[in-house]
Amino acid sequence: MLRVEGLTCRYGKVAAVSELTLEVRQGELVALIGANGAGKTTTLKAISGLVAPVAGRLMFSGRDITGASARHILRLGIAHCPEGRRVFPYMTVLENLQMGSHLRRDRRQVAADMAGLLDRFPILRERRAQTAGTLSGGEQQLLAIARALMSRPKLVMFDEPSLGLAPTIVDRVFDVIKTIQAAGVTVIMVEQNAFAALELSDRAYVIEQGRLTLTGTGRDLLENPRVKAAYLGA
Amino acid sequence: MLGGIYALLGIGLTLIFGIMRVVNFTHGELYSFGAYMMFMFVMLLHLDFFLSLVLATALGVALGAVIEFVLLRRLRGADIDTTMLVMIGAWIAMQNVEQLIWSGVAKSITSPFPSAPLVLGGISVAWSRLFVFAVALLLIAGTYALVDRTRIGRAMRATFQDGDTARLMGVDIDTTYLATFALGSGLAAAAGALLGPVFVVTPGMGDLAALKAFAIVILGGLGSILGATIGGFLLAFIEELGAGYLSSGYRDAMGFALIILVLLMRPTGLISRKDRIG
Ligand SMILES: Nc1ncnc2c1ncn2[C@@H]1O[C@H](COP(=O)(O)OP(=O)(O)O)[C@@H](O)[C@H]1O
Ligand SMILES: [Mg+2]
Repeated sequence: MLRVEGLTCRYGKVAAVSELTLEVRQGELVALIGANGAGKTTTLKAISGLVAPVAGRLMFSGRDITGASARHILRLGIAHCPEGRRVFPYMTVLENLQMGSHLRRDRRQVAADMAGLLDRFPILRERRAQTAGTLSGGEQQLLAIARALMSRPKLVMFDEPSLGLAPTIVDRVFDVIKTIQAAGVTVIMVEQNAFAALELSDRAYVIEQGRLTLTGTGRDLLENPRVKAAYLGA
Repeated sequence: MLGGIYALLGIGLTLIFGIMRVVNFTHGELYSFGAYMMFMFVMLLHLDFFLSLVLATALGVALGAVIEFVLLRRLRGADIDTTMLVMIGAWIAMQNVEQLIWSGVAKSITSPFPSAPLVLGGISVAWSRLFVFAVALLLIAGTYALVDRTRIGRAMRATFQDGDTARLMGVDIDTTYLATFALGSGLAAAAGALLGPVFVVTPGMGDLAALKAFAIVILGGLGSILGATIGGFLLAFIEELGAGYLSSGYRDAMGFALIILVLLMRPTGLISRKDRIG
């Protein structure tokens, strides 16, 4: 479904991602793990069109999306739920959800989707008229996830969805992501919490200093001594 | 009456700064452009006064769109100093072109309102001023509705609050910037077109207007429509007080005294960031 081939991204002279190649198949949940600064966020930004690659190719559903605008990529069906939640702080919960469906023209279906998401996350319905900046971290994360779903993506990318959340809410967030996959949406997840990410994922890639170092099924990597030492603190 | 005009000027400027991070030095020129267009339509082409007002504003929107498309679009990602220098250049160029076309002689525009004022319970108000005030309020309300209720308004606010995330939502940043700059410019042109017939039209009129608009934006807090509205009315009120109780020579100085005071006491402006809507 998604192929990243030889992706290289730079910020000025510093290479953040170097010749990264990975593949995500329809319906999979793929995790990207790696230390802080490894280049995970940059990889996602390149896929969603926020960062222009200096080399490499991005293919989605047989189309070349290298260098395409974020708008175009979203329209093709890739949603990106960014690191740090990034809800619009001075907009209400409802307006944030509306932003998620900004490109859609099927008004009736949008309204139905929104109602569905508010049923699924009652706390968001309760807070629908509140500005997003007044929500707790966990509520903001649920809002960011719901907002990403409002575009009806085929592939959704979550960047550190558990960052800074209380443990009970972390479980809830991972549950929600699992449910999204179960509904047929392909998922890429970047996580610092490598243990949870590997448990949850079908396959995973390990990135170190912008390069791919390991790949395999979540289970295999959980048993891998290098991964254990570096990321699982064992 | 002036409060409404000041608010229009301030809102236009604060929208452009808040959303695009552009310090718009051409703002005052759009104000005088609106006034000159009004002069051209009413006095030279003998068009209907109200139609002229609509046309002058529409041309202001169009001129703003052209400035955005020709100058600012090329400067995306440039640092603020470069953008500022280009905008200052545009300001000087526009002012000189204006002087070339219209000469330095002040022009007056006849307005269709009865010269006898409206007298209500001992207070008399000139019809022309009442009209300016009403239209200004209408435009302010319209701008609020646009930013608060429409899809493009939501895109503007999203871009203001978090540009990258707005892009992730599929917001077309170029279109949003174009709309913002055109809207802000249209408001400035409308202010000039409204006020031109009340006073006289001169090539330098935009400078003082721009200065006051900047003052209002600082007063209200950068990027706040509500702040600009309150700031506009407050500035007009203070000017009136200063002119009335001190001397009319102090009129234009009063505003700046107020700004220095506000900046000393509340450096972020009157309206704190959380209350900002656009
Ligand atoms: N906007 C930026 N400007 C300059 N350097 C950046 C920027 N964003 C990230 N980097 C650098 O690129 C590298 C990869 O960062 P990032 O993709 O955010 O890593 P991760 O998400 O894995 O923590 C880091 O060395 C980081 O310092
Ligand atoms: Mg990151």
